[in-house]
Amino acid sequence: MWRKFFVAGVVFVLLAPITVSAYVTPGAPSGYVNDYAAVMSETERGELESQLSEYEKKTGNEIAVAVIKSLDGDTVENFSEKLFAEWGIGKEGKDNGVLFLVALDDHKMRIEVGYGLEPVLTDAESYWIIERVAKPAFQNNEYARGIREVTQEIQKAIDADVGEPPASLQDSTMKVHFDFSPLALVLFVWVISVLARSKSWWAGGIIGGVIGSLIGFISGFVYAGIVAMSVLTVFGLLFDFLVSREYQQSVVLGKRPRWWAGGSGLGRRSSGGGGFGGFGGGRSGGGGASGGW
Amino acid sequence: MKKILLGVVAVVVLLGGYLFTTYNKFVSLEEKIDSQWAQVETQYQRRLDLIPNLVESVKGVMQQEQSVFGALADARTKYAGAKTVDEKAAAATQVESSLGRLLVIVENYPQLRSSENVQTLMVQLEGTENRIGVERGRFNDMVRDLNTSVKRFPGNIIASKFGFSERAYFDAASGAENAPKVTF
Repeated sequence: MWRKFFVAGVVFVLLAPITVSAYVTPGAPSGYVNDYAAVMSETERGELESQLSEYEKKTGNEIAVAVIKSLDGDTVENFSEKLFAEWGIGKEGKDNGVLFLVALDDHKMRIEVGYGLEPVLTDAESYWIIERVAKPAFQNNEYARGIREVTQEIQKAIDADVGEPPASLQDSTMKVHFDFSPLALVLFVWVISVLARSKSWWAGGIIGGVIGSLIGFISGFVYAGIVAMSVLTVFGLLFDFLVSREYQQSVVLGKRPRWWAGGSGLGRRSSGGGGFGGFGGGRSGGGGASGGW
Repeated sequence: MKKILLGVVAVVVLLGGYLFTTYNKFVSLEEKIDSQWAQVETQYQRRLDLIPNLVESVKGVMQQEQSVFGALADARTKYAGAKTVDEKAAAATQVESSLGRLLVIVENYPQLRSSENVQTLMVQLEGTENRIGVERGRFNDMVRDLNTSVKRFPGNIIASKFGFSERAYFDAASGAENAPKVTF
């Protein structure tokens, strides 16, 4: 059990990018509205949540709200940019997301705009929304009202000029960067567990060979294909032999097999509650405006 | 004998595979850095495009401070004439410092600060500074990725054989890394 955690931890550390800033993640989003500082009542939150979810269904634009207690010494600009990137607000390739971040104790806020919405929700518009809508409401301690009105103003500003972003901008935002590593890991563990459970020891070799020829086909090099095929076939054979033996032994001994021999729960993914399936993987580049109250 | 041959073949094949993937990794890292630099330049251009508007709307009021406009115009011309990345970076830093000076001076004119037009321009400039900071930060992250791979063994052997070398970080001039703060 502990070994499993340890190994999972090591894998996680190896996969996680190294960050040097003071940003500390508040965790995965539970919906469009994430009230970590508890400034809204449950009904207020629910109403705003369904409104934003409806807006997403209608326009595809994802507007996220995050209310945190403290920035922990970070700047509101850096925090927003990092949080935006972590949650991936907006649709992948379209980058049509907006984040409204409120840091309660620091009295700071920011509207961070995704690349795709920068032409329709400009820095100046964001600034005036903060100055004229959020600031007065927050100064009166009416957080729920301020947040709701800000999201409405954001929608108005976007809807006022829904036009295609200029071509030059589309070019730079259409580049899709998708990180396959978590998916690959899940797939990898799944393949292992299948191989381990099967009594055969040759299936791994065949899979290796197939993947090798695919690599050759994709890369277009006959030579690379042959190399990859032979290496992966041998590797697959050995690997299948090892994991199958490990699995058989653990079955005989009545133990749970080790994680690399098909004993892991990594293959099962839990879905988010309340029908919220996470944001779409959009990106931002520091557009928007900040303010305080 | 046969076993030795097989072993040699296996080692050669493994080395070949490693060479392929490492070479391709270097190529894609360099490609990413170049496209990220283009993002930085886009934001520089955006800032340059905003400056004339700001200058236009504050020039009339700021009679005593004409020298700062000269310095700003100078820096812009220099940026326009810059060819290499290093030249551009240096010129951009110069734009940054003269713009920072202008913004500080604007702060001292109450009639400018209260003008909505000037305020909007300042917000746009501030936003652009923030964008530049973000894109530059990402550029440096990517350069760090490449530099680590180029230096680490055994990638460094492949890097030197195929002419991949370390890239320079973008260092903002001291004091210029912070966007000029605009407070009303």
